Amino acid sequence: MTQHEEQLELQAYLDGELDEARARAVAARLARDQQAASLLRELRLTRQALAAGEVVRPLPETREFYWSKIQRELDRLEAPATRPVRESFALRLRRFLLPASGVALVAGLGVAVARWHGAGYTGGTETALDDSGALTYHDYSAGATLVWVSYPAEEELAQDDEIGTVE
Amino acid sequence: MALVRAAQRGRMAAFEELVARHRDKIYARAYSMMRNEDDAIDLSQEAWVKAWQRLKQFQGDSSFGTWLTRIVINLCLDQLRKQKRQRAESIEELGEESGGVERQMPVIAANPTAGLERDELRQRIDRALGQLSYEHRTVLVLHEFEELEYKEIAKVMGCSIGTVMSRLFYARRKLAALLADLKKESET
Repeated sequence: MTQHEEQLELQAYLDGELDEARARAVAARLARDQQAASLLRELRLTRQALAAGEVVRPLPETREFYWSKIQRELDRLEAPATRPVRESFALRLRRFLLPASGVALVAGLGVAVARWHGAGYTGGTETALDDSGALTYHDYSAGATLVWVSYPAEEELAQDDEIGTVE
Repeated sequence: MALVRAAQRGRMAAFEELVARHRDKIYARAYSMMRNEDDAIDLSQEAWVKAWQRLKQFQGDSSFGTWLTRIVINLCLDQLRKQKRQRAESIEELGEESGGVERQMPVIAANPTAGLERDELRQRIDRALGQLSYEHRTVLVLHEFEELEYKEIAKVMGCSIGTVMSRLFYARRKLAALLADLKKESET
């Protein structure tokens, strides 16, 4: 056993941390070792001094102020457990209502316009001409015909592309 | 115990009353470890917040005050370890931790606190504790004031029993020397 280990054993003896056999061995050593006995005395005095206790040090804040800070922190910590549910529900509702209200508005306008024009509506005809790729629309109520002609014709362009590819 | 049970059932008013009853003790323990008023207030409040969150885990094996004191001690140790990592260790502190100086110190023969009144003795001890490294101060606080055994201190501090014994030995020797210095200082 090194000198330091003997010192630690001496301290353990003081603190009652040794088993009976080791405690007896240390007591025997103390009887013949004056240096060990002096060290034990110093350790014991320090321990006795500490037994006087600590300086009384009251909290330098009022009860209300001290508690208010704790309560604020508790409120803050408990908030995330409830807020996301509310927020996510509100967000989901908003996400659903915004497009739905848009669709409803457009549909409503469509119906209103259709009803407004409904009395004079006489229908119309749409014709697609395969050869030229042109598209016509005749509105009977307005007595007008609209013609869309793609130039050059889409089919021709496609054929040109095919020829080019062969070349 | 009725207050604790009420707080466990979620009654905030009961918990507030527990805070009012134990706040001085918890703050004082935080101060004895941190040696700083602001840190002690913050950490003691953090301990109360943790206590509220873990209140259902309190089974009554120890007193409520003891249970809460363990929480604040753990918080203080975490904070002290963080602070230690953040700052560069001084040569003195490293030497103190190794214990080389204390091992060579002559034994203090005369009682350095003889004849002191209790309050004065406490003041001197407080001043001396303030000059120890946090590891040495903590081990003394846990052993002498919280009355923990070596193995319990090892568990709280996250070290071996051998380390606890070494730290306690050096802490006591250093404290004896500091008290002797304070005695000389008061006599001159």
